[in-house]
Amino acid sequence: MLRAFTHLIVGWLLIAVTGGIAEVLGLSIVLPATSAVVVAHAAFSGERELVPGLAVAVSLGYIEDLHQGAPTGVLSLSFALAFLLLHWAAGRIAVRGWTMRALVSLMAVVLVDAATLAILLALAEPLGIRTGALVPMLVGVRWHALATVLVAPPVWALLARIFDLFRLEPRPPSDLHLDAR
Amino acid sequence: MAVSLRSVRNGALVALLLGIPVLLLRGTVKDPHEMGAFDRAIRRIGGPLEAAISYSFGMLGGFFERWVLQSRLQDANEELAGENRDLKQRMRDLAQLEEENAQLRRALQMRERVPEDMIPAERVGVDQSPFFRVVNIRIDRGKNVAEPGMAVLAPDGVVGRIDKSFDDYSDVMLITDARSKLAVEVARNHAQGILVGDSEDNCLVEVSKDYDVQVGDIVQTSGVDELFPKGHPVGQVVGIEQLVGDQQRLRVMPSVRFDRIDVVWVVLAAAPAADPAADHVQTLQQARGLVPIR
Repeated sequence: MLRAFTHLIVGWLLIAVTGGIAEVLGLSIVLPATSAVVVAHAAFSGERELVPGLAVAVSLGYIEDLHQGAPTGVLSLSFALAFLLLHWAAGRIAVRGWTMRALVSLMAVVLVDAATLAILLALAEPLGIRTGALVPMLVGVRWHALATVLVAPPVWALLARIFDLFRLEPRPPSDLHLDAR
Repeated sequence: MAVSLRSVRNGALVALLLGIPVLLLRGTVKDPHEMGAFDRAIRRIGGPLEAAISYSFGMLGGFFERWVLQSRLQDANEELAGENRDLKQRMRDLAQLEEENAQLRRALQMRERVPEDMIPAERVGVDQSPFFRVVNIRIDRGKNVAEPGMAVLAPDGVVGRIDKSFDDYSDVMLITDARSKLAVEVARNHAQGILVGDSEDNCLVEVSKDYDVQVGDIVQTSGVDELFPKGHPVGQVVGIEQLVGDQQRLRVMPSVRFDRIDVVWVVLAAAPAADPAADHVQTLQQARGLVPIR
């Protein structure tokens, strides 16, 4: 529970920091999806529990909805669906090292953006969105993904450091063996 | 196959968690501009946090820039560099002041030029998703001044309209957003159409082929939608595509650089209606004693 709460608070702060830095630097396209990295971390680290991780994804998506002016619920549902796929993948892929962390984060942001696009296309009419304008926006996704890949290792390291600091990482089995001996 | 109690509980919790965004979406579809009390509470925390971080990084960036510049000049010549540094710093400050002055002058000129009741607002944040073109603004004249649907203008032209609002913070949906629709006309021949958002720096509008439209023509608000005041510049035609039928599609580049706007104006109320009796010449009674006596 404390892990999920920590993920949520760090994710929220990162959203605010990214928005603030982008405003100062005048960036509008190459902005990272830090929340996607946090959700990837929730899916691939620790005990990989489904329910707390999904709660983090839904909550972070909701905060993203409010911060980005998206129709409320769109990004929340996107993050939830992306997390479920990442959780499924976490049982099959071992994440070790910076490269894998960046790749997993790339997978997360692509899943989130794909889910967002699908939801927007499905709800285009009731939300008053012109579907013809959504497809050209996919061009922006590659810069979004690139920025996310670049920030993924430091964000992942920050989360690992915080979890170490508050002793939120589960102890590896090898330690238990050493204790028993 | 035995199903454990834990699996059932987890399944129920997953379904419950997935139901939350679905319910949120359902509410949004019913009323896209509605912000609940919980939404407002979250934004009340997040808005000032983002503004504070913007301010802190701006200060830090300014300090870092000055520090790097100073160290370079000291390497060249200590005495001359000191003088040079001061002069350059002063020139930079003056240039910055000049730029700020010009920007404020343009904003003031616009305020005098536009008859509508407007209030200034500063930009405090930008969106991060490639699918939505939204900027966050803050109005420091009290809470709940702005409302969804209000037009937002800049000295260079139309910015967009307020999508959501809470306290003194508002989300402005730019005219390039896929959800944006705006009644416009070509300034030269008044060919009317609905401008819709298309991409980062492009909008589209379809007008009748009866009108001769050329690349470079100015597109402005027509005022038909009663959301935006009439005659404000929206952008310039950069491309024309002839469609099958009697329509032609114009590609319009917005006149506002959305990444460079600092101060915008929120239109609070429409201009007062024209006085129908203004053109009517009233015959005045001649005063006695002023007409020459013949």
